[in-house]
Amino acid sequence: MNGFPHFDQFLTAVDRDAALAETSSRAEAALSRRGLLGITLGAVGAIVFGKTSVAEAGAGLPASDVDILNYALVLEYLQASFYTEAERSGALSGATAQAVKVVGATERAHVKAFRELLGSRAVARPTFDFQGVTEQQRPFLRTAVAFEDLAVEAYKGQAPKVRSNAVLAAAVGIHSVEARHAAWMRELFGITPAVNAFDRPASRAKINRIVASTHFIVSRPRMKARNKPHFTG
Amino acid sequence: MRHGTRLAAAITAATFVGLLLAGLGVSHREKSIATATGFAALPPAPAPVLKVGRPKMLSGERYVSRWTVVRRPTAAHAAPSASSVVVARLGVSAPEGTPNLLAVLRARTGAGGALWVMVRLPVLPNGTVGWVSRRSLGSYQVVKTHLVVDRRRLQATLYQNGKSVFTAPVGVGTAVAPTPAGDFTIRSKLTRYASPFYGPVAFGTTARSAVLTDWPDGGFIGLHGTNQPGLIPGRISHGCIRMRNEDIVRLSRLMPVGTPLAIR
Repeated sequence: MNGFPHFDQFLTAVDRDAALAETSSRAEAALSRRGLLGITLGAVGAIVFGKTSVAEAGAGLPASDVDILNYALVLEYLQASFYTEAERSGALSGATAQAVKVVGATERAHVKAFRELLGSRAVARPTFDFQGVTEQQRPFLRTAVAFEDLAVEAYKGQAPKVRSNAVLAAAVGIHSVEARHAAWMRELFGITPAVNAFDRPASRAKINRIVASTHFIVSRPRMKARNKPHFTG
Repeated sequence: MRHGTRLAAAITAATFVGLLLAGLGVSHREKSIATATGFAALPPAPAPVLKVGRPKMLSGERYVSRWTVVRRPTAAHAAPSASSVVVARLGVSAPEGTPNLLAVLRARTGAGGALWVMVRLPVLPNGTVGWVSRRSLGSYQVVKTHLVVDRRRLQATLYQNGKSVFTAPVGVGTAVAPTPAGDFTIRSKLTRYASPFYGPVAFGTTARSAVLTDWPDGGFIGLHGTNQPGLIPGRISHGCIRMRNEDIVRLSRLMPVGTPLAIR
């Protein structure tokens, strides 16, 4: 027992846009359509010879891997936005404020890398409403622990489904970074950084359910209209 | 002296040979282990398809402004406390039909641990601020632009990351119905309406005329085009900021809703 109840015991709220669920269902559909081609020769060439750009390498990936990458991108968007908003709020202090700068910078680098790889196939950044969690130290840390644990479980859950070894290598590289973040946030929150001898993966359904329960993904407010103005003129 | 030099050379040579032998020894051990365990037969690790660059530290933050919208009807208080004086009642929509946008200034934890946000209010007197419960507000959005309207020079300038990216002449209010000075926010963007008077694009702002208080919807100041471009620049409006149509169209491509508006 590490003294940290599960995420959904802390955060009760809906994925109002169903953005994560939509991405997930696309990934499921793509996986169910598994083709025989695997990685195309173009992707193999890019990976082996390193003569093509990252975007070109991404162009040859199996559809199921692209959807898994997009699924991961949504989680990276979530984390990057969370830390960015926390840093901008200026409400956090001490070692937590320092950690936020470092971890946020890393998560933003992940987002950039995914977007470069996926190019036009990258899902758009959802709108997040963190409901003040980024502006208070304890709620922030509690949520950060949950997010990092969630990311680690999510990467672990998708790894066996990845078809391209090059994608798997990238995912493992990020997975271990997320695990370090999880340990760091746990330490800052005052709970044991590492207690288990074996970490279990989490299914997409579980991740979706947890993220949706936060209500952190929302619709972007529509600030445009076609109504006739009534300004003073 | 000569003896010392020879000694130093001998030590250096001995060290070099020693390191070389040690290196060969490690290499040999590794080779032996690989042969003994079968590691040598393992394929090389695949190169990751993802190229993650250096961590991206936030930059240009001094040009960032935050805004939010009212998510549920609420009251703005004089202090971060529900028991403090109510300075304004806030609905979820602005008069132009868009969500009620508020500029976020700062946040504070009040009594009982509740979070309160100081916002700029779209009420008279202009410049009024108040504290709103964070629970009543939506997501935070950010912009890195700000618009300055200079009433003396009759000119509007848009800055992006602190750099001027747009300048145009404007029409402002007459002496009888002046354009109010102060810090406000662009809160809506209206297009495709049927009113040549306002031109092709009109931005709603949180500024209000201190004179035309009985104007429909409360006398809010807009930033819009015109069907009388010959009057610009000039002091010709009822308080609104008018631009030539080609300028307001150009501005609409550069300026996001939520942009702070400083009228000087």
